[in-house]
Amino acid sequence: MLEQIYDLGGPLLLGAVTTVQITLAALVVAIVLGLGLALLKLSRLRLVHWLIDIYVEVFRNTPVLAQLFLIYFGLAYVGFKVASFPAAVIGLGLNGGAILTEVFRAGFAAIHHGQREAALAVGMTPWESMRHIILPQTWRITLPPLGNYAIALLKDTAVVSAIAAPEIMFYARNLVTSTFETTLVYVLAALLYFALSFPLARLVEHFERRQRAWL
Amino acid sequence: MSGFLAVYAEHWSSWWPQIAVATWNTVLLTVFSFALAVAIGILLALGKLSPLRLVRALCTAYIEVARGVPALAILFLIYFGLVPLGIVLDAFVAAVVGLGMSAGGYIAEVFRAGIQAIHRGQREAALAVGMTPAQSFRFIILPQAVQIVLPPLLNMLIILLKDTSICSLISTPELMLRAKDLAMMSFLPMHLFLLAAVIYFLLAWPLSLIARRVEARLRRGLRAASP
Repeated sequence: MLEQIYDLGGPLLLGAVTTVQITLAALVVAIVLGLGLALLKLSRLRLVHWLIDIYVEVFRNTPVLAQLFLIYFGLAYVGFKVASFPAAVIGLGLNGGAILTEVFRAGFAAIHHGQREAALAVGMTPWESMRHIILPQTWRITLPPLGNYAIALLKDTAVVSAIAAPEIMFYARNLVTSTFETTLVYVLAALLYFALSFPLARLVEHFERRQRAWL
Repeated sequence: MSGFLAVYAEHWSSWWPQIAVATWNTVLLTVFSFALAVAIGILLALGKLSPLRLVRALCTAYIEVARGVPALAILFLIYFGLVPLGIVLDAFVAAVVGLGMSAGGYIAEVFRAGIQAIHRGQREAALAVGMTPAQSFRFIILPQAVQIVLPPLLNMLIILLKDTSICSLISTPELMLRAKDLAMMSFLPMHLFLLAAVIYFLLAWPLSLIARRVEARLRRGLRAASP
């Protein structure tokens, strides 16, 4: 039994490395996209609002698996072949960007407009007030939902096995066909995800507690 | 563009009966797994607030595991992983059980937060006027808790609807699987996955709008009620 776990554990850990890589890469894409679009939404341009709203609604109301299939299989059909790893990062990143746009927007909305006005009144430029006054406060407010999103993202990476990205579930499925240790392999895969997400969940709890103390 | 749409017109008569059945299955899958998740969630929430230490520990452990493991891993474990142990489930049943067990962990936390948000005095007052603990829960705690848990529950329903798509990976005959099969047969992945995405959107978007409405209304209501 132990020897078996050792044999199966190697490939699964290899998959876990990819899982972490995809999670981190998609997280960066989602944060850049979400923060950028939330900042754009602070503008008064109607058309910009409109386009961002469409993006957010479409990506939040369709399954990430459909988005991944469109990027991986759909784009290949029109002549754009995207490899599975970048397709996974782009798909999860675009999906997360829609979620985080709302998170950051809510974060900005939670900050009293007096903060910005005061910053401008003491002679800061709009950029300086954003950089030194608004963003640091938004950051503290958005940290817990951002953390929760990161956990959800980590678990969502399991579905990219469907577009053959070599992460935990992908290796698990391959191991099952080669060893027939179905139960053991999937239990180990589940434990591996748990081992990755549990510490992250405790960290987010810590942020939440600290934020409550701060508010 | 018109060429792109013409493909739909050409295949529509052969696609739509299958797509319609698959969409209906997706709706059924969502409803059944949500019902199971709510039942599991309520039991776990009550268990987590139980005076018995062992019950509390077991429920907490379940919630942590269900929230820490991807739904896809749970689905694979139930559908493939139980077969060597002699438990063979139909793909639809496995999907309902897997999604329900996974979402149950989240819903448990929603209900626990809802129940705990209600002041202890409410229950004490109910007991003081002669209600049994069951009556105080049914008539005093539950109606108030529902108001608090309704918005997160609706959001969970939307997430569940979208998550049913991953059941295609254990060959549950729902929308995503049908779209994939038709895409493979016709070599038209762009058309079919786009069609599937549009159908999911048409199912999920109205729910999103309702959820936002309910949330806004309850927030107004709660503000009006608090002194």
